[in-house]
Amino acid sequence: MNPLIEAIDLSYTYRAGSGKEIKALNGINLQVKRGEMLAITGQNGSGKSTLARHFNGLLTPTGGKVLVNGLSVADKNNVSTIRKLVGMVFQNPDNQLISSIVEEDIAFGPENLGLPPALIRERVNQALDTLNLQDLRYESPNLLSEGQKQLVAIAGVLAMKPGCIVLDEPTAHLDPRGRREVLESILRLNRDEKITTILLTHYMNEAIHCDRMIVMDQGIIEMEGTPCEVFGRGDKIISLGLDYPVATQLAQGLRLRGINLPDNIIRSEEIINFLCQLK
Amino acid sequence: MELTRNITLGVYLPGETAIHRLDPRTKIIAATMLITLLLFIKSYEAYGFFLIFTAGIIVFAGIPLSYALCGLKPMLPVLLLMWIFQFFLYSTPDANILFSWWIFTATDAGLHMGNIITLRVLFLFTVTTILTLTTSIVNLTDGLESLLKPLRKIGLPSQELVMTMIIALRFVLILAEELDKIIKAQMARGVAFDRGSFIQKTRKLFPVFLPLFINAFKRAEELIVAMEARSYSGGKGRTKMKTLHMGRVDLGAGLIMLLFTILMIYIIISAAPQI
Repeated sequence: MNPLIEAIDLSYTYRAGSGKEIKALNGINLQVKRGEMLAITGQNGSGKSTLARHFNGLLTPTGGKVLVNGLSVADKNNVSTIRKLVGMVFQNPDNQLISSIVEEDIAFGPENLGLPPALIRERVNQALDTLNLQDLRYESPNLLSEGQKQLVAIAGVLAMKPGCIVLDEPTAHLDPRGRREVLESILRLNRDEKITTILLTHYMNEAIHCDRMIVMDQGIIEMEGTPCEVFGRGDKIISLGLDYPVATQLAQGLRLRGINLPDNIIRSEEIINFLCQLK
Repeated sequence: MELTRNITLGVYLPGETAIHRLDPRTKIIAATMLITLLLFIKSYEAYGFFLIFTAGIIVFAGIPLSYALCGLKPMLPVLLLMWIFQFFLYSTPDANILFSWWIFTATDAGLHMGNIITLRVLFLFTVTTILTLTTSIVNLTDGLESLLKPLRKIGLPSQELVMTMIIALRFVLILAEELDKIIKAQMARGVAFDRGSFIQKTRKLFPVFLPLFINAFKRAEELIVAMEARSYSGGKGRTKMKTLHMGRVDLGAGLIMLLFTILMIYIIISAAPQI
């Protein structure tokens, strides 16, 4: 089966041709498989948001091409089809909710698609159910916690029944509890609803839950592989301005103290298992 | 919030009365009719009937009287000023002079005009307050969108206008919170907003509004991208989840409004032109 999203030699330059050009992407080759959960990490300014905005045609390449389900995002005629297929959630929930009522906000996307009223209501109900938001249905987003607002934003995308959701640092504004709630929901959507998920994040502890991750720096992909592979490649991740997950850091510290631990530890459960065996 | 404590215009009181359940379109049309009638009423008898009618609606909709009146409080100085202006400055050639003082002359025509104008503004305020107290903002915008739809044919972008309203309503609170934050941040850095002359005080507001505006533009830009990502491309081809239905209640309300309008027109025409 062909990949859902494919970037071929993609480059993007802000303010192209103005003399003050900023090259944000520089020859990206990437394939996103159907149903996978992909993390895109990298420090601020590494180009990950720019890359993500090509996936549903918010930006079009200045070089190379991006195909979504085989359709080029550069072709204006494809844009509406592509936006139906690839939904997007942004960092600040306050700046993406448009209505003063949760239910109405979730209906916004399906309404834009021109669906009949009964079907919109059904989709809204499903989205509310999937994310356990039924109780907040008639609330005003202004009264919700940041985490709940972000879940509403995800529900709004979900109601459009996309094949893929791109989340651009959805947890950056949230407190630890909100971050946990949102991450759990994202993982559940990927697992149960089989929605291809692309998660842009700074938090390595979120990236470890993904099937695959890429690390970007200065507009190119520096590392690619399963989280286990990426974090097992020595200190390169540190030189790219990122960090190890908590469990890996702990394992490294323990190894220095002479405790014999394997070097592919990235998740808390793994380190717990090994330490319990040592007893 | 400090700003909104005394303002009842634009506040919604949830309820289950027939007035609440009316189709928003019925309510908007009825309010428009009442306001139009108000512009023509020039006699106290007509105002008497109007008072009975609006009081009836207030009682029927279960709006606490204290609530309806409390919203009038901030209006009082303006109403008083308006009354004084009319009283002293309005006159007709055949008016009887009540008294004069310095360069002002008070006539009975001025007194009458002052009363009528003040009552008119008072009732305008009451009618709009009843509308917003019994209709949620979302219902209001839905009703408005549906009523304005025919105007699309003459080129009015009605759906886009209503969408702008919906977004503005959502962001009013967000921007109010932000304003509060910026003021506190400036105070933390030693700005005393309550000290100095009028001009000094005004100048202190620039560093408050500048960041507010810049942030508002940033938000607007992010919002546009988010809306675009959710396939928004203007009102064309858009459907609505909620569809409005007019029922028996609306028919009843319409009949009552019609009877009242006929009664008022009869009174307005039959009343001797006093002014």
